[in-house]
Order: sequence, then C-alpha cells, then structure tokens
Amino acid sequence: MFVFIGFSIRRAWLGFWHNGLMSVAATATMVLMLLLLSGLLILLTGLDATLKYVQQEVQVMAYIKDSAPGGDIASLQDSLAHMPQVTQVTYVSKDQAYKDFVARHPDEAEVMKSLPTNPLPASLQINLREPNDYLDVASYLNKQPAVDRVLNIKQTVDQMVTIIGVLRTAGTVILLVVGLIVLFIIVNTIRLAVVSRADEIEIMRLVGASDAFIRWPFIFEGGFVGFLGAAITIVLLWLAQGPITGFLSEYFKVLPVEAGTAVGQNIALIVLGTGVGIGVLGSYLSVRSYLHR
Amino acid sequence: MDTVSADTPEQIQLPIGPSGAPEMPAQVTPPPSTEPEASDKPAQSARAGAPRGATPPAAASAPRPAPAAPARSEDRIPARIVLALQGVTKSYPNGRVALRGVDLTVPDGDFVFLVGPSGAGKSTVIKLLIREEIPTKGSVLLDGRDLARIKRREVPKIRRKIGIVFQDFKLLPNLTVRQNVAFALEVIGTPHREIASAVDRSLRVVGLVNQADQLPSQLSGGEQQRTAIARALVHNPRLFIADEPTGNLDPLISWEIIQLLLRINEMGVTVLMATHNAEVVTAVRKRVVALEDGRIVRDQTAAAYEREA
Ligand SMILES: Nc1ncnc2c1ncn2[C@@H]1O[C@H](COP(=O)(O)OP(=O)(O)O)[C@@H](O)[C@H]1O
Ligand SMILES: [Mg+2]
Repeated sequence: MFVFIGFSIRRAWLGFWHNGLMSVAATATMVLMLLLLSGLLILLTGLDATLKYVQQEVQVMAYIKDSAPGGDIASLQDSLAHMPQVTQVTYVSKDQAYKDFVARHPDEAEVMKSLPTNPLPASLQINLREPNDYLDVASYLNKQPAVDRVLNIKQTVDQMVTIIGVLRTAGTVILLVVGLIVLFIIVNTIRLAVVSRADEIEIMRLVGASDAFIRWPFIFEGGFVGFLGAAITIVLLWLAQGPITGFLSEYFKVLPVEAGTAVGQNIALIVLGTGVGIGVLGSYLSVRSYLHR
Repeated sequence: MDTVSADTPEQIQLPIGPSGAPEMPAQVTPPPSTEPEASDKPAQSARAGAPRGATPPAAASAPRPAPAAPARSEDRIPARIVLALQGVTKSYPNGRVALRGVDLTVPDGDFVFLVGPSGAGKSTVIKLLIREEIPTKGSVLLDGRDLARIKRREVPKIRRKIGIVFQDFKLLPNLTVRQNVAFALEVIGTPHREIASAVDRSLRVVGLVNQADQLPSQLSGGEQQRTAIARALVHNPRLFIADEPTGNLDPLISWEIIQLLLRINEMGVTVLMATHNAEVVTAVRKRVVALEDGRIVRDQTAAAYEREA
C-alpha cells in the first residue's frame, strides 16, 4: 500500500511536469473557475447576511419632517413603543444621521461639508415582533403629521430576495458551464498524458502491473491539478483579503466582523473540495475511456 | 542443458534470487551441470530456490531436489508442465484464422524454438500465452491454469510468471538501463529495498553491469536486447518468451543472444523462442516446433531446422 501510494504520487508528479504546458493551462483554468466560484460565494454571503439583518433588525423606518416639533416626535415614539406589535423604537436625529453617513462614506465628507444645510432627515427605526405586522404600523405612521415618509422595507426586502435568487441561479448556471469546461480540459490533459505514455503502459501490462498501478497515477495527476489550482486560488484570495473585506463592509455594512474568518474558512474548504473533486473526476473519466482493457 | 559455457561460470552461478513476485515459488533448481559450482555456496542456492514461507531444511533433505515445485490444489495437470495448448484454434475478429487445432505441451525446463514463415501464427501463440488474446476454440494452460477462465484482475499475476522480449526492444528511451530494469519491479509494487539487488543480479546475468547507467540510445542493438532480457528476468519468471528477439540484430550478435537464452534456460527457466532464423535453430540442438499456416507441421527434439518448401 505504502509502495503503491509512493509510486502513484511520484509518477503523477513526473507526469504533471512531463506534460508541462497542458498541465499549466489546466491549472490556470481551474484557478479561474475557482475564483469565479469564490466571488459568487462571497457576494451571496454578503447579500444573505444583509437580507437577514434587514429582516430581523430594522423593519420599519419612518423619516421625520424637519419641521416637526420635538414634542410630537417624543409622543409619537412613546405611543409606538406602547403598540403591541412593536418591540423597540429608536430615534436617530438629523445630527446622528449626518455623523453616521460621514462615517460610512468618508469619501463624500467633503461634499456633505460643502452643502449649506444637513440634507439628511431624522428618523424613527422600529423593530416589529412579526414582519407581517408591517402594514398596521406603516398605516399608523402614515397618518402622523410629523412623519414625512415611511420607508417600505418590505419592498426592499422583496427586491433583495429577487436579486439574490437571480444571482444564485445565474451564478449556478455560469459555474456549471465553467465547471464543465474545466472538466473537459482535465479530461483532455489526462488523455494526452495517457497517450504520451502509451509505451510505458504497454510495458507495465507486459510485466504484470495491476490496473491500479496503471490507473491511479493518472487520477493522482488530475487530483494534483485540482489541488494546485485550489491552493493558488486560496493564496490569491488571502492576498486580496483586505480589499475583499473592504468591499464587504462598504456594501454590506451590517456584516459582523468575525463572520469574515468563518466565511474565509468555508470558502477555502469549498474551493479545495471543488478543485480536487473536479480534478479527480476528470481524470477518472479520462482513464476510464482511454485506458480500457 | 548438458553444456556449460566455461567462460561464464559466475553468471551461471547467479540464479535469479527471491524477489519481485513472492507469491510465485521460484522454480530455479540448480541444473546438474552447475552442481560443482554451486556446491561451494550450498546455503545460498537453497535459499534462492525456496519460496517465501517454505522450509529450506525439508527441501535440502529431499533426496532429489528436481521435483521441488510444490503441487498446487488447483493444478489440473502435473505442475511440471509449464504450458499446454490443447486443440487451440484462433480466429481474429476480421476472420483471419491464425491457428488451427494446435496441440503443444512444454515441460518445465524445456527450451523450445517456435519456427515458421511470417504469418504462420507464432506471435499468436505468444499472445495467447500472455493472455493478450483468448483462443476461439480449445484451451491454453499456463502452470496448470486455463487462461480463458481466469478473471481479468488475475491477468497481471499470470504475466508475472512470464518474462517476455520482442524484436523491438520496447525500452523506455528516457530511462537508463538500470532504471528500465527496475521499472518492471516498481510497477508491480516491489518494495524499494528489494529492487536494487534484484536489478543488479539481473544485469549481471546479461552482462550489462558496466552499461547500467547508460541510456538505450547509447547502446548497441545487442545491448538493448540484453537490457530487455534483464528486465524480463528481474521478477524471476517461470517462463521466458522471446518473439523474434534477433530479428533486428546481425548474425554475430544474434548468436550472443541465443547463448544468453541458453544460459537462462540452464538456470532452470523454461524458454520459448519464436524465430525464422534457420541458422540459429540448426546450430543449437534443441526442440523445434514448426508452424505453418496455423498448424504444427513438425515437433522434434534436437532437430535441425529445414525450411519447408
Ligand atoms: N490482431 C490481428 N488481427 C487480425 N489478424 C491478425 C492479427 N494478428 C495476426 N493476424 C493474422 O494472423 C496470422 C498469424 O499472424 P502471427 O501470429 O503474427 O504470425 P507470425 O508471428 O508467425 O508471423 C497472420 O495471417 C496475421 O495476418
Ligand atoms: Mg510474429
């Protein structure tokens, strides 16, 4: 067994370099596919987390008119807090909204400063016991003179669900197509490897090598392409960690920081599994159809 | 069998030791002519001839070591018959009938020339023996086992009982002589520590120790064929098959190869050599089986070869 594994790995390694150009091409396409896969995973993870946050945390948002007297706001907040459907009411003042905005979009701080007045409204953020109570609370809010506009978060949520669904379907289709292309390339790489070693295989058969000794080196070779592709992808992702985290916190501000490492580990595992899986599957298919008898 | 080339006593003394295929009992028994040579190293000879797990003392105490091959339960014919073709007919898928009702029995330790014009069916006999083909009719027995009945995954085990060389030497061009020989053991899973000594032994038998680190392209045709022979011997086969081994070689070199095959036969390995080289067959007084158009037309011991008209 030990001898067998050592033999297979050694021959797979030699085979990989023997067929250098093809192996490198196969590895490169593997990396492209895995990057695409991780990109989609990262995007979907961000969107999913945002959706959850939006669904769970702030369910109704009411913008307050600038002209509304402070007393009205306080009493409105109070009466909302006493509604049975409402779990929590938070008042965000104009100043607070301004600070939050500048903190989130430092690039636009200059623009904001150049404006004569603070354009951001104050708002009430209301958490509901049940998302379905939305209409009751929204219609109540709409009747209040202090309220300028009720943000239809339900609509936003529905839109997000649609976007995520479309993205997931389109992403899966694209990934499947790219995955098939990668599989095809692996099958061909290993086929070339088999053909280029026809002499060796003939001799192996003549001296009584078992099928396992003939086949497994090629399957290891395919697995090796997958492993190398996955390793390169993971290194690239790790190098791009900063920008990716930046992107995530920029566009999905709600993502908890510690989610980053967990997501990273998950993606690394998925990338590794997919890479090695496609490599092994491709070479298995190739060996099966080009190494019969 | 009864002649010893006096110039190469050392090579005769090196029966291929226990190696590659432990499940196969080594059939090497010291031929009578080498007895005086072997007697100064009796312990080594006994060890070399014993299969793993067998008891050397018992073999040593046996009055005559010749029938040392242990009878196996599945044997349907006596173990001393290495190969037998019984009423074998072979037609290829394209309709060509290569063999018609061939009967051939080769006992252990025999040296057989398989002769006949091109297309007579010599290579087909060999393909049947290594189970590259199976007979259309009749049966092919190797070591008592019907090759048509064995399972696919047992074919490699059968092949490990056989060493084979061809007209084209089938060496791997990017491996040295030593690596080419070692390859045959590596691919059947022989542990590393056993490979080097078995390869050295085999290279000594064919006399290529000094060329061990050269590539095939740096060798003469005769040396390439000897490398192929070393590779075919390294796993300690019971039957050695050569299909036109001298077809690409000039007469002098051909003669050297024949001498080498005779020496291998003296070490106890059964040899089957297909050839249409009349001179060689005439000079070496061994059994000759002549094939013509798929039929055996002559089977003589120690016969001179006359080309049929
Ligand atoms: N794979 C094959 N398919 C069809 N016909 C074959 C095949 N191999 C050999 N033959 C035919 O069988 C006959 C015997 O061939 P072969 O055994 O190679 O003869 P030899 O080795 O004596 O020259 C020839 O007529 C040859 O054309
Ligand atoms: Mg032939």
